[in-house]
Amino acid sequence: MPFSWAPMWHFNRPRGFKAPNLLRGIVVCLTLSLTPLSGAEPPTDLSDSVVRGKRLYEQSCLLCHGKTGQGDGPDAFYLGAYSAPRPRNFTEAEFKFRSTPSGQLPTDADLFETITRGIPGYMPSFRGLSETARWDIVVYMKNFSSMYQEAEIPPIVLPPGPLPTTAESVNRGRKLYDMLDCAKCHGPQSMQPGGLYAQGELRDRRGLPLLPPDLSHPSSFKNGHRPQDIAQSILTGLDGTPMAPFEEALSPHPEDIWHLVNYLLSLSRSP
Amino acid sequence: MNWPSTSLVEKVLLLFWVILVSQLFTTTDVQAIPAFARKYDVNCTVCHTRVPRLNRTGERFLENGYQLPGTEDGGTTKKFRLGDLTLDDVTNYLGFRLRGNVLRTVDYARHAPGTNIDGIPEDRTEFGFPEVFSLFTAGTVTNNVGFFAEVESNLEEDETGVERAFLTFNNIGQHDWAHLRIGKFDPSAYSSYATLRQQFELVGDNSVDNGSFMLPTINRIGLTPAAFASKFHGLFDQSGTTILPTAPSLFHAVAEMGLDIHGRPFGDWFLYQVGILNGANEPFGDSNNPKDWYVMTRFDFAQSDYLSANFSGFAYFGSNNAKVSTMADVNWSRYGFATNVRYYMVDFYAAFVVDHVANLPNSFKNTFDETATGLTVEANVLATDRILFGIRFDHLDAGGLRTQRTSSSLLGVIAKYYVRSNMALFLRDDINLRHAQGRRAPERNFRNAFFVGADVAF
Repeated sequence: MPFSWAPMWHFNRPRGFKAPNLLRGIVVCLTLSLTPLSGAEPPTDLSDSVVRGKRLYEQSCLLCHGKTGQGDGPDAFYLGAYSAPRPRNFTEAEFKFRSTPSGQLPTDADLFETITRGIPGYMPSFRGLSETARWDIVVYMKNFSSMYQEAEIPPIVLPPGPLPTTAESVNRGRKLYDMLDCAKCHGPQSMQPGGLYAQGELRDRRGLPLLPPDLSHPSSFKNGHRPQDIAQSILTGLDGTPMAPFEEALSPHPEDIWHLVNYLLSLSRSP
Repeated sequence: MNWPSTSLVEKVLLLFWVILVSQLFTTTDVQAIPAFARKYDVNCTVCHTRVPRLNRTGERFLENGYQLPGTEDGGTTKKFRLGDLTLDDVTNYLGFRLRGNVLRTVDYARHAPGTNIDGIPEDRTEFGFPEVFSLFTAGTVTNNVGFFAEVESNLEEDETGVERAFLTFNNIGQHDWAHLRIGKFDPSAYSSYATLRQQFELVGDNSVDNGSFMLPTINRIGLTPAAFASKFHGLFDQSGTTILPTAPSLFHAVAEMGLDIHGRPFGDWFLYQVGILNGANEPFGDSNNPKDWYVMTRFDFAQSDYLSANFSGFAYFGSNNAKVSTMADVNWSRYGFATNVRYYMVDFYAAFVVDHVANLPNSFKNTFDETATGLTVEANVLATDRILFGIRFDHLDAGGLRTQRTSSSLLGVIAKYYVRSNMALFLRDDINLRHAQGRRAPERNFRNAFFVGADVAF
């Protein structure tokens, strides 16, 4: 079944589409069938959900993200101490893990997905909570800022793929890696941090030094290591970090994203 | 007691240690982290400020029977099904820890109890390798049923055995209402200042047992938080073995047999704990029948601004849990409070504890001080991601036999370098602020101790 980022459960608010023209072109030209990331259903009674979500948030999330969702919980400092990442500040429109364009809020499904999957190294998966409980937390989190009352931006749509991992595809991906200057951060061999890290210039928006992921270990990718996860990270960027969105750079040949993904996965030394 | 002479076991362990260290320094692609971190795919810092100190997430994980805070995920996370069985990957519940000193210099005078002879000065420097090896298995059998077992081999004390082992039954009634722990465990695990979660590792005393119900020769006192120490000179357990004044005991014992219940029925701000134990140093069975029991409450404050704070108070009621030299039973109890405040890189904690011995034989009324106190104040500062500095002050106003008891004040400093989040190298120095060479009291005869060591957990 073709993959899409567009979830079927956009509840609570209408949509406004403000994506850049090139991205809009991708969306228009490369239509995919819409399938959800999860079979979970959002709650229908939001008032009860907020009450339940508050209790769950305070038990499971507050210790890192803080009472007011500003990422300053009792344990927040020691998580990264003097290095990135610190826990996410939910009151700012700056989320790394989105299916929406850079600068936009994540969809509810994105928030649900992050809670469900966790972030390797930094946040455990909360699959141990029921799907309803995870949705309750999403509903409660959105009370931290009025930004969430605005229209939800639709997710970007990936070009058809992934493509088969052929030698030609990997070679094309390698050329793209060089062409897009990925080595500046990720290193020329993709396995050691690049020059900007060595110079201490790779920092998040809080000014904390940031170590780029070891591309030879996809399982450590914070936004997931499935081909579609990697493609999403490249196209939308990771807001708040030096990882910029590359949707415009790749728009002349949208299928290039899959060649780049194939190249990155070819570097893998572990699942 | 000197470090043991080289044996085959020691050679094998030394080889193991060398291989381990070489692996740690040369391997870059192994995410070598202890069992729970492996199970949940997270770094040590999700649950620890810096190992072995727990942050609040780690404390809630412990309270919840090795399940994520707010969840009851023990039957699902990283489990897989084989027919009717639920199985775990062994690496998700098996870990080990190696810790101890590779160099230490100690300066003290050997004590001569009950005599007018001054101690014999000792000043020695010894090489070794980390002498404490712990193998532990912990996790969940299914939802809300957890387990923990730790086998420890201490080369210095020439002991190997089950250090702690217990089962937990969690979330009885409603979520976080009641968690039951039964087996051999550390009672203070949930308090503001837990005995086994300190940057300053417990250092045992150096003493010679002079026979049943006889005062021992204490060459060098143990380096234990004064608040947690036994505090009395002249107490013995049921078998007649001396309870050394600096050994952790009662509520702060490293492990005791019993059961306890704890929970947070009113929310995160309040924790209760009640427990019942066989008593000081009692293994399986209880030779003196009455049990000891304790109650602890803890209040947690601060939910944002990188601030964490809590305060706890406890009372431990002993019943025939110690003896004096006439073999008469006494009731040894303990009361106190502790606090922990963390703000950004500073981790501050303190405890003040009062011990009291009741039911003394009349013949001891004028020769035995029934009350003793201990104060411990500690602060750790994470200076960089890898470097931690710590300082600890201890004041012990010992009780017991008036011919032996005295007060003492010690200051400890430590610097730790975390090669990785699960491996630390450290320098530590403990100084006696009230050193007096001529005094025939081990608390005063101790001058200084310096340690270089390592602490590795996998």
